[in-house]
This record gives sequence, C-alpha cells and structure tokens, in this order.
Amino acid sequence: MKNKRKIRHQLTWYSFIIISVICLVTLTYIPMGTTIKYSFYDARTLGFEGSFNGFQNYKVLVSNAGFVKAIINTFALTGLSLLVIPIGYIFACLINGVRNVKVQSLFRVGFYMPNIITGVSVVLIFQVVLKQNGGLLNSALSALFHTDVTVGWLADPNYAKFGAGILGLWANLGYCMLICLANLQGISSDVSEAAEVDGANGWKRWLYITTPLMKNCFIFLFITTIINGFSRFTDLFIIGGNSASGRPGGSLQTLLMYIYQYSFEYPNFGMASAGAMILFLLTFIVTMVNLKLTGFFDKERD
Amino acid sequence: MRTKKIKQAVIVVFLAAVLVILMIPLVWCVTLSFDRTALTALPEFSLIPKEFSTYNYEIAMKAIPLWRYFGNTIFLTVVNTALSVFFACTCGYAFAKGNFVLKNFWFVFMLIVMMIPFESRMIPLYIEYKSMGLLDTYWPLILGSFSYVYGMFFARQNIAAIPDSLRESAYLDGAGEWKIFFHIIIPLSKPLIATLCILQIIQQWNSYLWPLIVLRSREKQVISVGVALFNAQENAIIYGPRMAVAVISAVPLTILYLILQKHIVQSIAFSGMKQ
Repeated sequence: MKNKRKIRHQLTWYSFIIISVICLVTLTYIPMGTTIKYSFYDARTLGFEGSFNGFQNYKVLVSNAGFVKAIINTFALTGLSLLVIPIGYIFACLINGVRNVKVQSLFRVGFYMPNIITGVSVVLIFQVVLKQNGGLLNSALSALFHTDVTVGWLADPNYAKFGAGILGLWANLGYCMLICLANLQGISSDVSEAAEVDGANGWKRWLYITTPLMKNCFIFLFITTIINGFSRFTDLFIIGGNSASGRPGGSLQTLLMYIYQYSFEYPNFGMASAGAMILFLLTFIVTMVNLKLTGFFDKERD
Repeated sequence: MRTKKIKQAVIVVFLAAVLVILMIPLVWCVTLSFDRTALTALPEFSLIPKEFSTYNYEIAMKAIPLWRYFGNTIFLTVVNTALSVFFACTCGYAFAKGNFVLKNFWFVFMLIVMMIPFESRMIPLYIEYKSMGLLDTYWPLILGSFSYVYGMFFARQNIAAIPDSLRESAYLDGAGEWKIFFHIIIPLSKPLIATLCILQIIQQWNSYLWPLIVLRSREKQVISVGVALFNAQENAIIYGPRMAVAVISAVPLTILYLILQKHIVQSIAFSGMKQ
C-alpha cells in the first residue's frame, strides 16, 4: 500500500516533466549526437551514410581560407555589436536621471520600440537608410560635412561590417538600455546616499559606486550579445539577397552562414557538422565562463 | 536648485533628440510606403509622401499572398506560445517544488540544452524530419515548443518564491499536484506567464531560419520568410512596395506593443533582472 503511494507520487511529478524530456531527447540530444558523429565522417550528401575519416573534416575546415574568414568575420561583427552595452548603459543612466515620471516612461517606451521591429522589416528599412546613393545616412553626412558622402555601407566590402554594426546597434540599443535601467533602479539608493553624505560628487558616485554595482548586469548582456553574435544569421542572410555567401564580397559571412552553405547550397554534411561542432564549442566555452563569473558553480556546491 | 533644473532640461532635450534620430528610419519607411514616386529611384528624405497613394500596397498584395502569410504566422505564434509557456510552467513547478527520483539529473539534463545552440543541431534535425516525411508541414515548427528550456529556468526561479504554506493547506483539502498547479500556482504566476508569452510572441513572429528550411510550399510560408522572398524575387529594386511589405509585416507587433507598452517593457526588464 505504502509503496503504491510512493510510486504514484513519483509518477505524478514525472507527469509534469515527461513531455518536455521526450521532446528534448528526440529533438536536441539525438540530433546533437548525429552532428558529433558526422563531424568525423566523410558524408557528402544529406541522408547518405559516409565513411569514418577521423579529424579530416576539422583539418580541412581549419585550413580553409573561407572558414577562417568566416570565423574572423563572426568575431569582428560580435566585437562591434558589444558597443551596444556601454552606449545602452549611458542612455539608461540618462533616462534614470529624468525626474518627471511620465517623461521617463515615454523615453523608456520610445527607446525600446526598435527592438520590437526586429527581423526582416529592419533589414528592408536599413537597406534604404544605408543606401550608397541617396540613403538617409549618407545624405545626413553629406549635409553635415558639406561634401558628397557616398559610402556603400552595405555594398562595399570594406564598410559592410560597419553598416551591419549600425543596423545591430539600432535594433539592440533599446534592449540593453532597458535591462540596464531595470538593474539601475534595483540598486538600493542607500549606497549612493551614503556616498553623498561622504561628499562624493555625482560624477564620482556614478563612476566608483553605481557602475561597479552593475557588474552582473554587464556580464549578462556581454554573454547574451556574444552568444547572439556567434549565431548571427538572419539579417546578414537577407542583406545578401537570401544567400549565405555573405555579400558584399564575403565580408558578412558568419560562421553559421558558412555552415548553411555547406548544408543546403553545396551540401557536404560532414563539413557542415564539423562547423556546427566548432560553433557549439565556442558557445559552450562562453556559457561556462558565464556560469563561472556569476558564481553558479559555487551556489550549486552549497 | 536652478542648475539642477537646467541639467534636467539638457538631459531631456538630448534624449528627445536621440529618440527622434532613432525613429527617423521608421517614419521614413512609412512615408516611402505611401509614396507613388518611390519606385526605382529613391526620393529625397521628407516626412510626407511626394505623391500620396496606396499603390505600393496594392503591388505588394498582388506579389505575395500577404493575408495568407499573416494567418499562418498568427496560427504558429499562438500555438507555439501557448505550448511552450505551458510546458515551461509545468517543468518549472516540478523543479521548484517537487521531490522525485533523479530530480537533479533531469535538471542538469535541461541545463545542458541551453548550451547547445539550435543552429548546431539544425541539419540532423532537418534530416530527422525528412525521414519522417514531415517536411513542408507545420510539425517541425511546432514540436520544438514542447520544451522551452529558458522559460523553464525562469519559471522555476519564480515559482520557488511562492510560499509552501499555500500548497500545504491545499494538500489538507485533498488536492493533488495537478490541481494545485492549476488552482494555485498558475493564478499566482500571472506576471511570469505574461513575461514568457511576450518573449515567445516576439521570437515566434520573427523566426526565420527554421521555417525557411523546412517549408517548401509558397502558400505555407510565414510572414518573415515571405517578405524576404519578395525582397529577393524583385530583380529591379522598387523601393515603395518594399517598404510597404516592411510596414505590413511590422504592424501587428507594433500595435501590440503600443497597446501593451508598459507591460511589455516591464516584462522584458523583469526577464533581465532575475539572472
């Protein structure tokens, strides 16, 4: 009788998680295992068994100029996108300094607005904003400097990364601002007031007291931005006219676009899997650093 | 006192100026979409269309089945959001309050999934669905929603904060776990559920890569892919219709945002606080 109750107790709790567990096994763990397996196989066509060839795929990838370029592009684009954190933080501080509650709320809602319109629309809009001749940015720069500025922000391989950076900054500024603002307002005002009593001026209080208290918030944004940067795909894919070649001139081809090319445009499943494994390892390392920095391991040990 | 007021004014004016700059691309996009002259040549910047007409929208409507795409996307967004948030809550409840064998094992099992980017298992997943004959159906887009790991962690943290005394009194009344879940946990988790729903809706509405890969039929596509296909299929660049398409695809979420702005802003901030 008692055993029966115990089993029922177990079954009840398992009924809460079982569907998600089955889903994760079939849609995450098994495919991940397949990726690992095929990254060591010479499998040229999708769905056909290949032959084991050790680390050959990885070797070919690492010595492939296109792959190295894709990695460098990914890091460069991710590095540029990190700029959104300090800029977002500065705006969060300014908005936090607005006394009038209604005006503050207006800025909060307004700055976050571009983040809602992510996806394809943003790219369509920015293709016009960043256009070489008659684009909004070049027109504004021309008027500002009284010369004809015709930078191909999304057409010239030398500038395309900055164009993509401007697009990313516009789309993500609101998110960073919002997260920073929420964390700023969560900081107890006691600390700042105590410093005020000690005679620290506003600027010093901001630099030495408020900013260090935001450490965890910065780590969170830093990690999220890096992970999103590693798997950046959609906007650059559309800029290239629904092609993963990273137009203009391969300057916008990220790691994921490179993998996509090997998966669907000219299939080599083994190579694509090896590329996916490298993407996984990069994300894994960043996540582990994140968990270490935020003290996750210490908490679990207690 | 006076310097403080001046400082406030400077901050507000500066922020307002930046906000205007941020909004200009959106405003111009709407303007162009109503400008009959915005075809192959890009008109100069202005806040009102040179020649107002809805011609661009008519062109866009003719070129792609927009209403169809809207319907598809709304369907998928609603189904996926409902499923993923529901299962995030059930798992969150089990890990927050349950005691069962191997609880920690399953928790780590789910934690690991957060470290596997979707993109690194995309190809085998595609093959898995291909072998099941489910390509070009909505199953590949829906089945993944039966587990929402980020939501599960978030739900666990929030449900753990609900005091146990509420559950204990329900036990004494003879309620089972599922009854407690539906009658106590769910009603007390409204902010949590709202936040997860908002995060999911935004993500689902904009999902692009996976629908692009698994859907082949034109009429089954979702709005984001449909819009991008329109973008790519036009050989001669015609700006007006392009902007019309951009506006149409962005309108539903924008309206949702304008209606629920305060809740959405709070929810997003909330999701970034509990790390």
